[in-house]
Parts: sequence; C-alpha cells; structure tokens
Amino acid sequence: MDKTGKKWKLSSFESFAWRNAKLLWIILTVFLLMLPFVFRNPYFLTVVAKIGCYIILGLGLNLLTGYTGLVSLGHAGFVAIGAYTASLLSVKAGCPFFPSMLAGMLAAALIGALMGLPTLRVTGTYLSIITLGFGEIVKMVLMNWQSVTNGTLGVKNIPKPQIFGWKLTTANHGMYFLILFMIVLISLFCRSLMRSKTGRALRAIREDEMASTMMGIPVTAYKILAFVLSAVICALGGALYASLIGYIDPNTFNFDVSTLILSIVILGGMGTLRGIYVGAIVLIAFPELSRSLMKYRFVLYGAILVLMMRFRPSGILGWRSSLPYRLSGNVKKKLRKEADA
Amino acid sequence: MKRNAMAVSMLLLAAMLFNAACSAGSGAGTTAAKNESGSQSAAENSGMDSAHPIKVAVAAPMTGDNSEYGIGFANAAKLMAKKWNENGGCLGREVQIVEYDDKNSSEEATTIAQKIVSEKDEIAGVIGHFSSGVCMTAAPIYEENHVIEISPSASHPDYSSIGDYIFRNNTVISKEGGASVDIAVNDLGKKKIGIISIMTDWGTNTSGIIKGILEGMKDKGVELVAHEEVMEGSDDYSAAIAKLNDAGAEAVICCGMYNLVAPVAKQYKRVNPDIAIIAFSNAYSTQLLELGGDAVNGVCFPVIFFADSEEQSIKDYVDAYTKAYGAAPSALSSQAYDSVGMLLTAIQNVGDTDSEKVKDELYKLDYHGVTGDTRFDKTGDVDKAFVKVTIKDGKFVKMD
Amino acid sequence: MLLQQIFNGLALGMGYALIAVGYSLVFGILRLVNFSHGSVYAFGAEIAMVFIVSMRLGIIPGILLSMLFTGILGILIDKAALEPLRKKGSPPIASLITTIGISNIVTNLLIIFLGSEKRNFPNFFGHSGIHLLGGTVSMTQIMMCVISVILMLILVFIVFRTKIGLAMRASQQNAKAARMMGIDVNFVIRFTFFLAGVSAALAGVLIAGYYEIVYPNMGFMAGLKAFSAAVLGGIGSLPGAILGGLIIGNAESMAVMFLGSTYRDSVAFIILILVLILRPNGLFGRKGITKV
Repeated sequence: MDKTGKKWKLSSFESFAWRNAKLLWIILTVFLLMLPFVFRNPYFLTVVAKIGCYIILGLGLNLLTGYTGLVSLGHAGFVAIGAYTASLLSVKAGCPFFPSMLAGMLAAALIGALMGLPTLRVTGTYLSIITLGFGEIVKMVLMNWQSVTNGTLGVKNIPKPQIFGWKLTTANHGMYFLILFMIVLISLFCRSLMRSKTGRALRAIREDEMASTMMGIPVTAYKILAFVLSAVICALGGALYASLIGYIDPNTFNFDVSTLILSIVILGGMGTLRGIYVGAIVLIAFPELSRSLMKYRFVLYGAILVLMMRFRPSGILGWRSSLPYRLSGNVKKKLRKEADA
Repeated sequence: MKRNAMAVSMLLLAAMLFNAACSAGSGAGTTAAKNESGSQSAAENSGMDSAHPIKVAVAAPMTGDNSEYGIGFANAAKLMAKKWNENGGCLGREVQIVEYDDKNSSEEATTIAQKIVSEKDEIAGVIGHFSSGVCMTAAPIYEENHVIEISPSASHPDYSSIGDYIFRNNTVISKEGGASVDIAVNDLGKKKIGIISIMTDWGTNTSGIIKGILEGMKDKGVELVAHEEVMEGSDDYSAAIAKLNDAGAEAVICCGMYNLVAPVAKQYKRVNPDIAIIAFSNAYSTQLLELGGDAVNGVCFPVIFFADSEEQSIKDYVDAYTKAYGAAPSALSSQAYDSVGMLLTAIQNVGDTDSEKVKDELYKLDYHGVTGDTRFDKTGDVDKAFVKVTIKDGKFVKMD
Repeated sequence: MLLQQIFNGLALGMGYALIAVGYSLVFGILRLVNFSHGSVYAFGAEIAMVFIVSMRLGIIPGILLSMLFTGILGILIDKAALEPLRKKGSPPIASLITTIGISNIVTNLLIIFLGSEKRNFPNFFGHSGIHLLGGTVSMTQIMMCVISVILMLILVFIVFRTKIGLAMRASQQNAKAARMMGIDVNFVIRFTFFLAGVSAALAGVLIAGYYEIVYPNMGFMAGLKAFSAAVLGGIGSLPGAILGGLIIGNAESMAVMFLGSTYRDSVAFIILILVLILRPNGLFGRKGITKV
C-alpha cells in the first residue's frame, strides 16, 4: 500500500482521540448543546437541522448498505412512507406527532419486510434494481392515490411536534434538540446492534454470504431484518423531515434523494458511524457554501460517487480501526466460563 | 464510545468551518453580484450610491428541470434593475438583483427563505418562487419575518391569503380558467370539451377548477367529455389523446406548460387536424413556437402580457429584452419584470426600505407596467384584463 | 382504438428495444448494469440536435457524427471509470455505483451546456400514414421499426460473424481464458461500449425524431424502462431485448387505455420486479451460474 503514510497519520490521530476521549466528548456535548444559542442565524440552523435529518437517513441506509452489503437505490421510498404516514395522520386525523411517527415507522417496517423478501431469490445488482423500482412505485402510488395522499397537491401545514404542550419549532430550537436526540438515540442503537450477535451476523453476510450460510447463519432472516431496521430508521427520519419542512409532495422523495443518501453513506465511509456524520455534513453543507456553484452540484455528486469508488471505496473515514477489537461483556464472560471449564 | 471520539473532534472542526464559511460565503455572493451590476451601470452614473445598494432577491429554479423559468425571472429582473440604475437608482441607491436557486423544490425553498430572511436588513423584497406549491412552503417564513414576497407565477387560490406580505403579480387560476373556458365555448363555439392535464400540483389544481367551471355550464349544453392526466417527463401522449378523441372532444383544454402543449398539439393534430387546443398564459413563450412548429398554429390562450402590443413601453421592453437575451420575453418573465418595478416604485414612494411601510404602499399602488394596469387587492392578488391570443403562421396574434 | 394502441405500443417498444440492446451488450460481457446508458442515449440525441440544427451539417452526416461521438463517449466512460475498477478487482457494486455517478455527470453537464428546456427535433420521415385494419401507421413508425431491425441485424452479424464478435463472445464466456488466448479483453470491452453508444445514439435520434422533442433528462425514464425491457427479454440476449422492448411498449399502451395515463410509468417497474423475482433470467436469458 502506498498510502501507509496517510494511514499512519490517521491512526495516530485515532489513538490521540482515544487517549483524550473524555475531554473530546465533553467538548462535543457542550458544543452541540450550545450550538443554537451561539449561532443564532436561522438559516444556519435550518441547514443544521437538514443535515441532522440526512444523518438519520444515512444511518438507516448504512445499516443495510454499510453493514449488510445490500445496496438500495430506492430508500427515498421508505422516507416517503414514513413522512406520508406520519403527516397524513397528524394533518387529517389530528393525531399527535409521536404516535404518528411510530405509525409511520410501523408502516415502513411492514413494507421493509416485504421488500426484504426478494432477497430470497435476488442478489447484488438485481436487488439494487428492485429497490430502485420500489422507490419509483412508491412515488407513483403517492401521486395516484389521491383520496388518501392528496396526489400531487401534497400535504401542507404539517404540524410541529409537541411535548407536554410545548411546541417544538426551529425558532425555539425544539426541532434542533429533537433531531439531535434522535441522532444520539439511533447512533447508540446502531452501535450496540453492531456489537451484538446480530451485528456480527450482518457483517459476516457482507463479507461472504456463502461462508455465512456454512457457519449456520440464517442469511435470509438477517437480510430481511436489516431491511426492516433500515426502513424504520429512514421512516423516522422522514417523519422528522416532513415536520421540519412543513410540506411534502411525491416529488420530494425522488431518485435524487435516494442517490444523495447513498452518496452520504459512500462518501463518509460505509459501515461506520463517523462516516455518516461527515458524509451528511459535507454533502448537505457544500451546496450551501457556494450557491454560485449550484449548477455543478449534481455533477459533483456524480463525481464523488465515481472518484470514491475509484480511489477510496471505503470512504473518507472508512479505514479499519487500528485499535484492538474489544469483545462485548457477554462474550468475555462466556469465554471465561469456557476457559474455566 | 471512545472509538468514535475522533469523529467527534472532526465534527467540531467541520461545524466551525461551516459556520465561518457560511457568513463568508454570503458576503462573497453579494460582492460578486455587486460587481456584475456595478460594471453595467458604472458608466452611466457617478452620483449613485453603490455602497448601500437596494437588493432584490430573485428566488426561482435556476438549475434543473424548470430552470428556463427561473432564468427568465432573473433576466427580466436584471433588466428592470438596469433601467432604474440608468435613471439614478432607487432612492439614489443602486439596485442589485441577487439570485437564489430553489430548484423548484419546497425543501430548497425553505432553506433559501431562511437565508433571505437572515439577510433581511439588506434585502428589500423577494421576487419569486415559481410553482405555487413551492411559494406556499416559503411564504409563511417570509410572512413571519415581514419580508415582502411577490410571486410572478403562483396561481393557487390560497397563496396570497397566507399573509399581508405575500403578493402575486399573476391572476388567480380560477379567473384564468374562466377565461380559457370562455375562449373554448364562446369564441370558438365548442360544446364538447376535453381536458388533458399534467400531474403536478398546478395541473391537478387547474384541471379541478376547469371541471368545476364546465359543470356550471351544463345548462348551456357544454359538456366535459373526458379528462386525462399525464405524467411529467413522458413524451408519448398518443394513448391519452386517443381516449380524448374517442370521447368526441371538439376542444381540448391543455393544463400544462409549453412543454406539454407543444407535444400534445403535434400528436393530437396527427389524429384529428381540426381539434381546437386552449392553453394558459404560462405556455405563452417563444419556446412554444420553437417546440411546436406548425402544430401549435391555432392554439389559443388568455394572457395578461402580449409582446406584440402596439404600446410604446411594451415595445421598448420587448426590444431591450430581445437584445439582451436573444429571445422575446415570456408572459411569466414579464410578470417578474413588473413585480420588480412595483417593489422599487413602492420603495421610492415611501422613501425607505422598511418592509412594513413598503407593504402598505404596495396595497395603494397603481402601477402601469408591461403586463397592464396592476393594483393589488386586499389579499395581495391582482385583477387584470385578459388579452386573448392565438398563434397564426408561427406568430402570436390577438384573437379577433 | 385497440389496434391503434397496439401500433403505438409497437413503435414505442422498438425505441425501448434499441436502448435495451445497449444494456444487453454491456451486461453480457461485464455482468454490469450500465446505469449511465440512459444519459448516453440523451447525449446522442442532444448532440445530433447540435449537429443537425445548430451546425446545419445535414441530417445523415449529423446522425453519423452523433453516433460516432456517442460511441466515443461510451469508450471514455469505460476507460476513465470502469477499467480502473476492473484492474483493481473491485466488487460489482462499485461499478454499479460508478455508473450512477456517471449518469449524473453526463445529464447535468448537458443541462449546463445546452439548457434544461425541451427543444424541437426535426422529424425525418413526415407524418403521412398508411391505414391498416382500421388503425393508422405513420411513416415515422414504420421507419423506426425498419431501422431498428436493420441495426439489430448488423449487431447480430457483428457478434456472430466477425472476428471481434468471436472475441466478444469468448470474453463473455470466460474473460480469463479469453485473455490467455491472446484476446485483448479490455479492447473488446471498449468496443462493446462503443457499439452500445452507437446504438444508443441511433435510438436517441429516432425517438427524438418520433416525438419531435429533445431534452437532457429524456434518458432517465426511457433508460429505466429499456432496462426493464432488457431484463424481461433476458439480459445479455439481443432478440430478448427486442421482444422485451415490444412487450413493455405494448404493456404501457394498454395500461394507459385501461387504467389511465398516470399508471403508464409504473407498469414497466411492476413487470421488472415480477420478472426479477419469478424468472430472473428473463425470457431468453441463459441460466446464470453462481461461481463459488
């Protein structure tokens, strides 16, 4: 490898971060909590909230693409299902935000399980194509099922979430903290999932499906599980997003959104959490920084996909950790028991 | 937990950089705009204050599928700014146009609205947002922050009632729909009407309104024979046309932009050369002639701007526009042109850019522009006389 | 009415078939779904428009030049983005993502340089029609079918009767063995991309001429539907591409007639998903062997 120099630097940075972990965590926590009070610019905060939503969507797709190795080109479909179910329930039925969000997640889980079924027969590129078709079909359904979804008119005036009568808006930073809270929650979930038996099984499937089957891993069940979890997280992101923007229509969730989510996952580093944060920040913030470069935006997204695949398929931050792998408490206990026996 | 700590520090760094660049970026953007318009006008005047310009934001799709409309808005706005600057500016200050690209997406529009609102000390008002849906997403943000928004194109009935600061220089679709039906029924004498509409919020809404109007004319023997909805981005309308033709439509009201009207006209005339096609003012554009060729001859629509008018001010405007941008202005671009004019006139009359006073002045203003006499009613709508236009030998002419 | 719809569906389907051929050629040899193909098709139509209308080179030279340039674009795509991936032995999904990226780049560069608006494209064959069994078939529809069939025959000839075709088939069956036999596999792949580009340009010109309309985004939907056609016919098979195209074209026409225009786009995707789940090898596809 000719990149050893760089690798060494990165890993030394990693061990530096590891040594000073506590300090960094404190700085980050303070920074994130203070952020809306320090930078009061509403535009800045809107962009930050948008980045937050895309981090959630990225985390969702990451479960499927990063950890399990199934590439989805239609994740906008799951986002749409979450966003529409939640928004329609709160607009038409007057249901509060959080139950509506849960309903959206449930709907996405069902559809996600359904979408996972083709993995029984179809793999690799073909599966990606099916997901693409799925994304387009969701869009068509949203357009044509006018009595329920309002068709192309979209859903307007989506209410903001409320907690004990306190309305969470962008102005009072409620949305910011809600999204931040969700990101932390989902990140913790992903992290503990990946350290669990399930997580190891998913990674095994990504590395070698055949070998995983040989090891007795129920590959199909785990793939469907990955689809469901991924769909649920994206639906949650979609519900938040709809409430943040206040208006959705079928074209909000087109193929470009699916590509964008995929680009986020790939740019930062598939199968890592840090990669998703950085990917979302870079890809969402970049077009805002240079509105004059706006028309080259999609060219740039394309170039990112091409160049990353060519030079750094693991993503900017996708290196393998050089820190020793730490076994979870359960496994250690088990090993100790076996050693004792 | 610790393993991700390094990502944490990167995140910190990135966020700080981003915020720094955000403020720097907005500064850079305005200087660029200043240079551009500054160089245009520097020669003509010396006494104008270009250090404290009056900025007008144009927010519309500059890239993507509908970019031709946004670019048209921006071009027209720049032309109006140039006209003011040549005459010493507004309140003696230079007028600058700042472009914002919303890609015609509601999502982008909210971000852009926030950006404009956060710079509202400098920006006197917003011309734009193109489609009604996008306008209606952005409008509450402008209203909340007391920024004036004048949309040259929004036609949804609910748009202007969002707030006091929300105006439009476009007729409400229910009035324009009435004018279109009037052409079909009274001018062309057709009884069996078909509708073909594009599946966008505008198309769905417009076709619904037309249906309602036709319903009310049943006693006059007018009949809606068929309604076909078509998807954006498919160019084959032959199947929908076959259904309309089978239903015996004598006239078809085509709810879509030029890029629907032209192919529908072409494909319909292959099936039935005698079909009468009626469209809306947003199809009034030279692109319709270019794309439609011979097939669009005979297409009729009501407009509030007519480029071949005899009036001198309109002639001057069309000449200037054609000279600057190589094609005659469309109806929507001209509405954007007048919108900028009205905003600047109101500011001039008030003598201040304070948005509350300017807003009050706008409600009182009587503006004679290229799109006719304009006066906002109390919701911020305009009511203008329609000119009925048809296409003859590849040219727009008034209907007799 | 029904018959007329079938005629329209056939003409539409011929167009899809021409695009589908490009997917099949590349898939056959690389096992890669070339996502950039739709944008290459749009590129072919747009550049033909530049040659014919803006530069006034005449129709035939314009089309030929557009085919040449689009073929070269195909080679460029392979050379710049895909060949390095093959050399590195990247997983197939990396190539798929790369082609999505390329599709974004090509389409948006077209928008930047030529504008996103729909423009008029000259119709070559006129509108005079022949009445047949109560329906009307226009000259353009007939010529579309004729030219498509001729192109198909040429492609079949190249693949089955020439030396390079032999090399293509050899690389298709076993790239490693072909390389050992002295075949320059990378050259063969580049040639395949060239052929795919040429047929895409011809498809672009014919379809743009049929609807008399051209714009940079025309490749997205058409590309996806043509891909469905290729999968339905059995991806990698030339006759399959034609049959698949015709079926998809007619299914769309029927959907519009019986369900309404708004359902036309979903039909292709529903067929695609059903075929992939029920019969992943399509109608004419050979059974794929998973290598362990």
